[in-house]
Amino acid sequence: MKRPGGILSGIVAIAVSAVVFLVPFAFIFLTASKTRAESALLEFSLPTEWAIWENLVAVVEARDYMLLTAFVNSTILTVASIAIMVVFAAMVGYVMQRRPNRWTPLLNALVLAGLIIPPAVVPTIWVLQRLGLYATLGGLILIEVAFGLSFCVLLFRAFVATIPREVDEAAIIDGAGPVRLFFQVVLPLLRSVIVTVVIVQAVAVFNDFQNPLYFLPGDENATVQLTLYNFRSQFTTQWNLLFMDILLITVPPLIMYAFFNRQIVAGLTSGAVKG
Amino acid sequence: MFSIHRPPGPARVAGAAAAAAATLALTACGSSGGDDGTLTILVDNTEATVDSVQALADAYTAANPDTEIDLELRPGGSEGDNIVKTRLQTGDMPDLFFYNSGSLLQALAPEQNLVDLSGEPFMDAVAETFQEGVRSDDRVFGVPVGNAVGGGVLYNLPAYEDLGLEVPRTWDEFTANNQAILDAGDAAPVIQTYGPDSTWTSQLFVLADNYNVLAAEPDFAERYTANEAHYADTPAAMAGFEHLQEVNEAGFLNEDFASASYADGLAALASGEGVHYPMLTNAITELRATDPDALDDIGFFALPGEDPDDVGVTTWLPGALYLPQTTDDQAAAEDFLAFAASVEGCDAQTEAVGVTGPYFIDGCTIPEDVPPGVAQLQEYFDAGLTAPALEFLSPVKGPALEQITVEVGSGIRSAEDAAALYDEDVKKQAQQLGLEGW
Repeated sequence: MKRPGGILSGIVAIAVSAVVFLVPFAFIFLTASKTRAESALLEFSLPTEWAIWENLVAVVEARDYMLLTAFVNSTILTVASIAIMVVFAAMVGYVMQRRPNRWTPLLNALVLAGLIIPPAVVPTIWVLQRLGLYATLGGLILIEVAFGLSFCVLLFRAFVATIPREVDEAAIIDGAGPVRLFFQVVLPLLRSVIVTVVIVQAVAVFNDFQNPLYFLPGDENATVQLTLYNFRSQFTTQWNLLFMDILLITVPPLIMYAFFNRQIVAGLTSGAVKG
Repeated sequence: MFSIHRPPGPARVAGAAAAAAATLALTACGSSGGDDGTLTILVDNTEATVDSVQALADAYTAANPDTEIDLELRPGGSEGDNIVKTRLQTGDMPDLFFYNSGSLLQALAPEQNLVDLSGEPFMDAVAETFQEGVRSDDRVFGVPVGNAVGGGVLYNLPAYEDLGLEVPRTWDEFTANNQAILDAGDAAPVIQTYGPDSTWTSQLFVLADNYNVLAAEPDFAERYTANEAHYADTPAAMAGFEHLQEVNEAGFLNEDFASASYADGLAALASGEGVHYPMLTNAITELRATDPDALDDIGFFALPGEDPDDVGVTTWLPGALYLPQTTDDQAAAEDFLAFAASVEGCDAQTEAVGVTGPYFIDGCTIPEDVPPGVAQLQEYFDAGLTAPALEFLSPVKGPALEQITVEVGSGIRSAEDAAALYDEDVKKQAQQLGLEGW
């Protein structure tokens, strides 16, 4: 195993990934520390005058502390829609895999339709207005769930197929009802695919720009991605503040990753071996 | 602020047009103010717009303490167009909104969506030139915010001084100047910027040439709208495309024109690496923010044409505040519009953001100590040598002009070919608007 070529290629791989991930991050950090005039040059250089604290204050205070509201909104949005997606998609995937009947092809077609058919903005707003959900966080959560659910159902359905039926049968013989069977026996076994779904969908929902833009208007409803538009417009851009905003938005997911690193990697690899 | 930028994509336009045909039975709900004394105004996120409207709002609330005014920001460009259309169609537009005048306004179907202001007394103070840009039939819809903008050439004053050049009055003189700058070898004669998010800057040679087009063909706009005149068969109109081709072929462009951005272009102009930058004068606002010391080095002249005795500038109208029919606070909103159309309104804007050109409100003046570029623009206005850009005279403006002008400026497509292609491009839009003769 200990070939020198292997060690060399390992070092090269580490160096390449460091360049690919750290250089852009360094660029964000440096630009976020510059004054406005200097940042407009968009150069990869150390700032001649460090303005990191001024920029931080300016970004947080912009438009009446919009960024703080936005962080609260984005957190609620991401957590709530992920929770709903995981539970519902696991239920649907489980039932569709375990109990195929003559409706299953139709249901499969509907799941696929959810992936294929693009959303239309104006009719969706009409529906939300009739339901009284337009411009509310609840309405946007439902939209995110609707757009993400199909993908999750497919993942769960494929994964449930790898769990032996005998596990279900043993639980039923031991006296578990359907609710208990699902929540106490099956759901824990789905752990690795749940981790996958949480990561993929959390990134998608947290980074979503277009849906909040159209379905959740109003400053008090902003999500973090929308705050980027405070500093970037068609003719003029405050690059230093824009990059500071990007830095602030990037940090929470990064901290989360640092904390849950082990679970995430364990979840992904256990899925890979079983899959 | 100006429809010179990214036009809406064809598919989205089709959707919005279909929705426009369908709708408007919906009642207002959502974020509009109600009777709680709060006015909400939707504005685009351009710094100059936000600051101007905020200045108006602050001055207004100082005089009317029981009214509160909230600004809501939206992106600009085609995304902003979609948001405005979406919110009008769904009845969710706030009490007032800021949007372009001219052809982009016409695309909102103003007579179905906006309140007619032609009977309001405060509209008497709004200049007739501006009212033309926000008119549909005999109805008038908007109150201007901001200054008139000129389209022409921003140039580096020290470079002109060093080389002993004079402001050109014809295209040939302009070419001679460019050649002199090229021979001197220190700077690129003409800056072009086709980089990311900056392709709209390529349209200036064509759009800012409208004064010269109208000087040669006074009825071009009417005949163009009626599908009787086109770019390809009107030599004066095609000149814009030809000029762009010429500067490329003569090697006048900066080396990095294909990848440079608008900000790069302004930086090059300010530092003297480039001498001419065909641009709108609202670039002065950007320069004031990024490099205020450079303002004294930047001059402005109109895009030169054929006739040395008739040199004038093509102007863009500023955007305006509009009153959607779905507002439930119409009296308060109209009172605010009346303030925006008053001399106090202009003064509040001047104090907050400075000026880049004349106002369109009667009685408004601009201060004496303006940057040289603004003063030079003002001279054209004082002499009456202005003509509106084509987009304020005709609703026909194709979505692909900037792609076509990038091709011409990069030497990929010839001027004749480009003019013909653009004539083809506007057909779709004219048909969507249901104009006669298309």
